[in-house]
Amino acid sequence: MIRLGNVLVSPGEGGVYGERTLEGYRVWDPYRSKLAALYTLGGGVELTPDMRVLYLGAANGTTVSHVADYVETVYAVEFAPRPMQDLLEVARRRKNIVPIMADASRPEEYAPFMEVVDLVYQDVAQPNQVEIAEKNLVFLKPGGHLILMLKTRSVDVRRDPAEVLAEARAGLERRLDVADVRWLEPYHRDHAAIVCSRRE
Amino acid sequence: MLQRYWFGDVDEGGCRAAGTDPAALAERATALRTGMDSFVPIDWEVARDCGVVRTREEYVDLLRTVCTALARKKIALSYQGRDVELLQMVRMLDELDNVINLLSERAAEWYQVTNPSFSRKYRSLPAKKMLGIIRKGARGGLSDVAEEIERLAGTRSRLMREVSARADEVLPNTSALIGGLVAARLLSRAGGLESLARMPGSTIQVLGSERALFSHLRGGTPPPKHGIIFQHRRVHNAPKGVRGRVARVLAAKLAIAARLDYYRGEAVPEFLRDAQARIDEVGVAA
Repeated sequence: MIRLGNVLVSPGEGGVYGERTLEGYRVWDPYRSKLAALYTLGGGVELTPDMRVLYLGAANGTTVSHVADYVETVYAVEFAPRPMQDLLEVARRRKNIVPIMADASRPEEYAPFMEVVDLVYQDVAQPNQVEIAEKNLVFLKPGGHLILMLKTRSVDVRRDPAEVLAEARAGLERRLDVADVRWLEPYHRDHAAIVCSRRE
Repeated sequence: MLQRYWFGDVDEGGCRAAGTDPAALAERATALRTGMDSFVPIDWEVARDCGVVRTREEYVDLLRTVCTALARKKIALSYQGRDVELLQMVRMLDELDNVINLLSERAAEWYQVTNPSFSRKYRSLPAKKMLGIIRKGARGGLSDVAEEIERLAGTRSRLMREVSARADEVLPNTSALIGGLVAARLLSRAGGLESLARMPGSTIQVLGSERALFSHLRGGTPPPKHGIIFQHRRVHNAPKGVRGRVARVLAAKLAIAARLDYYRGEAVPEFLRDAQARIDEVGVAA
């Protein structure tokens, strides 16, 4: 990851969503992007130029554009039509983004387009986030990583976020090795990042 | 075992490419059904050996073109539903209400400063009358503003009629039970006809009172009896003691009505007659 001083940045053509640029790099704001928050807090998986990434819950493509600056190919899956329009615009300017309009909880919808990826990144506002992650493991190479941004409020607003996290972690440990778990405070409230790796 | 990918079919014997025309590939891809139990992600090299592309760049490029075409098609399809425009219409209507109220409030404050005799008495007038007085009484900017607000109010009432008419068409059963405007607001809260049709009555009952609902779920406060459906006269005119019951029964019937609207798309007189009778019966029994 590239940092200028304390600021996380990514190399690439600017002007995707009005982000600031610094010495020719695009500033990647941890308050806006959960992935940026994870890197700023010292966690995460190093993004390298040979990586292929499956990005679930791509939304408007702001974080996707930063990931695309670092890696070889991003498969960006988004379900809702309105943000998908923005995502298509981002993908038009970045040749390594494959925009897929499909439901992340139904991998059979986009399986025919998929190759094996080195990293699955998931940021979806659904109650069954762990189940969605499990369904998408079929695309992850052995030894590859999963970064799950757990939105505890989407799982259940009534329960204590810490409890939701513990349950999600236990669920993931059935099939994965959990390497790192951390809250994204102070950048995002009640969001936790879980970094796992798939067993060889 | 045969595997079907976006660029062609692959099995032990080799692969059959499906051509390189993006439009044809997108068309073919919509028909692909994948069984996840036996699915194997593809290596791009297979597509190369198949003769579809020569390089990795060409592979990603063609894939992007196909996926973009598919996404555009799906977006167009999702905007096709009759309910999509209605959604925007109601939201615009509610936004207009907000703006008109804010502007009238400010105009009254302003007028009061320039004309001390314009006191509390006038402020209790209906907004329409009050605006007329301001327009005539004030000069310059304030008078112009009052005129604009009146025009905006006119736009608002025309839009309201349009919303009702469209709701009668898109939601014939729901509209028959609670009126086009409230039906449209329910639709807007639910996010679409399909999601409204999938909601249980208990959810419809409290749509629009999310704050009260979640404060109840977090503990302590009593649960909300009604959300948007309170706007219907049967709920807000009902005696306090039975209001919750009316709201519950009405919401249950609305859930059925929404499903009829979604799956049949036309008014069902037998259902409406029975539902109306049931709701009226609950309203009087105390």
